[in-house]
Amino acid sequence: MTAAPGMRDLAHRLLTYEAGLGKTSVPTESPATRVYEKLRQSLGEFVGAAGFQSLASRALTLARTGTPSLDAVTITEDGSLQGLGEIENQLETEKDQAGEAGIILIARLLGLLRIFLGEALTLSLLRNAWPGEALDDRNSENGRAA
Amino acid sequence: MNTEDKVKINKLPTGVPGLDEIVGGGLPEFSFNIIAGAPGSGKTTLAHQFVFANASPERPALYFTVLGESAIKMLRYQQQYTFFDPAKLPGSIRFINLSQVVLEKDLGAVLAEITREVEKSNPAVVVVDSFRTMVRKQESDMDLQSFIQRLALFLASWQATTFLIGEYAEDELRDNPIFTVADGLLWLRQTAERNSIVRKLQVIKLRGQDSVPGLHTFRITDAGVQAFSRTFGLTARKRNPPSNRRLCFGIPELDKMLDGGVREGDSVLIAGSSGTGKSVLATQFIAEGISHGEPGIVAVFEERPEAYAERATSLGLDLETPQKDGKLTILYLRPLDLSVDETMQSILDAVQKIGAKRLVIDSLAGFEMALSPGFRADFRESLYRMIFALTGIGVTILSTVEVDESFTEFPFSTYSISFLTDDIIRLRYVSIDGQLRKIMVVIKMRGGNHAKDIREYEITSKGVVILGKRLANYQGLISGIPVHTDRPNLTDEPSQDTGIEDKT
Repeated sequence: MTAAPGMRDLAHRLLTYEAGLGKTSVPTESPATRVYEKLRQSLGEFVGAAGFQSLASRALTLARTGTPSLDAVTITEDGSLQGLGEIENQLETEKDQAGEAGIILIARLLGLLRIFLGEALTLSLLRNAWPGEALDDRNSENGRAA
Repeated sequence: MNTEDKVKINKLPTGVPGLDEIVGGGLPEFSFNIIAGAPGSGKTTLAHQFVFANASPERPALYFTVLGESAIKMLRYQQQYTFFDPAKLPGSIRFINLSQVVLEKDLGAVLAEITREVEKSNPAVVVVDSFRTMVRKQESDMDLQSFIQRLALFLASWQATTFLIGEYAEDELRDNPIFTVADGLLWLRQTAERNSIVRKLQVIKLRGQDSVPGLHTFRITDAGVQAFSRTFGLTARKRNPPSNRRLCFGIPELDKMLDGGVREGDSVLIAGSSGTGKSVLATQFIAEGISHGEPGIVAVFEERPEAYAERATSLGLDLETPQKDGKLTILYLRPLDLSVDETMQSILDAVQKIGAKRLVIDSLAGFEMALSPGFRADFRESLYRMIFALTGIGVTILSTVEVDESFTEFPFSTYSISFLTDDIIRLRYVSIDGQLRKIMVVIKMRGGNHAKDIREYEITSKGVVILGKRLANYQGLISGIPVHTDRPNLTDEPSQDTGIEDKT
């Protein structure tokens, strides 16, 4: 079972956007961690910390299938993500693999939101955390390829 | 202080069809309201409708969820309703989860959190769902009362219209400090009556404006909650002055019997047993109206619209063309489990949509049978309210009713509803000269000088045709077994058949 292509693409857009922001400031966390944290803040407001923690745990379990590097990642009680930064550092020489793990985790989380809330509402909620251009297709793998 | 000096309270649309009428035009702006009821009674849906109807980016709505239904599932289900616009989230409507604060802290912390969010967002609407789950925590009564009063005071000062949603049983209504503080209290009920679910709402309290008293039926459909006011939304309409205009049946002899036709705005009852031509008369009445440019509605319960129109065609009456032209609507109302009020609302909507002048209800017995069993007890009262409301705006109503034929009585209706009709035409079978014939008589005509004649009629390919002059040579016609006055000893009763052939 893999993440839906649409969600994977969306996750990629968000990570690309955050990576772009990192170039203009001093990044302390990876793009994937920053995307996850924004989702936690934004979604936690309406689903509550416990609600977000449940969703994130499910997303992590799904993401681990086929991505063994995520085995070291955990979700804390308040929904925070632990361990993603470490595996990204460990895989410094294999940046693509590290980035891929983050994309898969975020894609799984977005996929769950889409399953529960539908695409329209999911995108509405994401727009609250990211400006419109972050969700723009030009930041997608498909958009860049074109 | 004159009227101009008084503060004007804005009324906000509830977003619930029919509810604005019930609450007197909308809910007062800045009011502090409670929506109470049992689980599954539609409280959350109603609150969502209000929120979606009133929230804007400038004045958003804050929807605080507490313990109970998970926010994500609530949104999953609520977005199935047609009023739910995902684009309004989160710019105009923000959902904020307070579960953790409630679980880990006290009511003071909950108030502080609500205060913080309200000050940050400047909302027009605030909802706390479910409020009841917060107050189940172990707090003293004083803490709760203090919390409620501070919350109400704060939210009113911040110009927010507020809803607290709570699961309450009816016996909790008394001596409850929450209800004392509230400006508005809407109670939603859901009960099972025989095999049907009956939903009703009541405005128990609403400060500052008149609401329609009593229990109002409501339904939850894919459009959300829809309420049906007991007054059918016609309270604001002025009653038309009585009209002297006459509406014809297009049956010359009958129209003469009615002194030119039934008076516009009358309620007419055609009573008779099966096969006496009640529906034929009703069809002729509606077709005659259409031919004079008067749109009509036919509410049928016992046959489908196609069959009804087809039967009219066999009488030489075209009901297809006026339906296409928007001059006629044939409503087929056979959805069991409907409340009487929502059935009547369907009729009213159709009447108002095409500006109907004539309405046929064919038949009252079918109407009653189409209702959920729990509503049949209210049938007469609701019928009275609908007839009163519609005739008040000038619609002429013709209802048919089947009566059990008796040879000892001459009943007008089994419903005891003759009090709500202005005119009654009675059809019945009589036994004359070894034939089962039909007679017609105008029993009652309010404010009119109708004929007293008993007339024989037939149903032909041209509809009801009245034959000859009045049946002057019979006595006891309305008994169904008349005596021929020229042959006083001869009734139409057959001689007793002994089964033995008379060989004399």
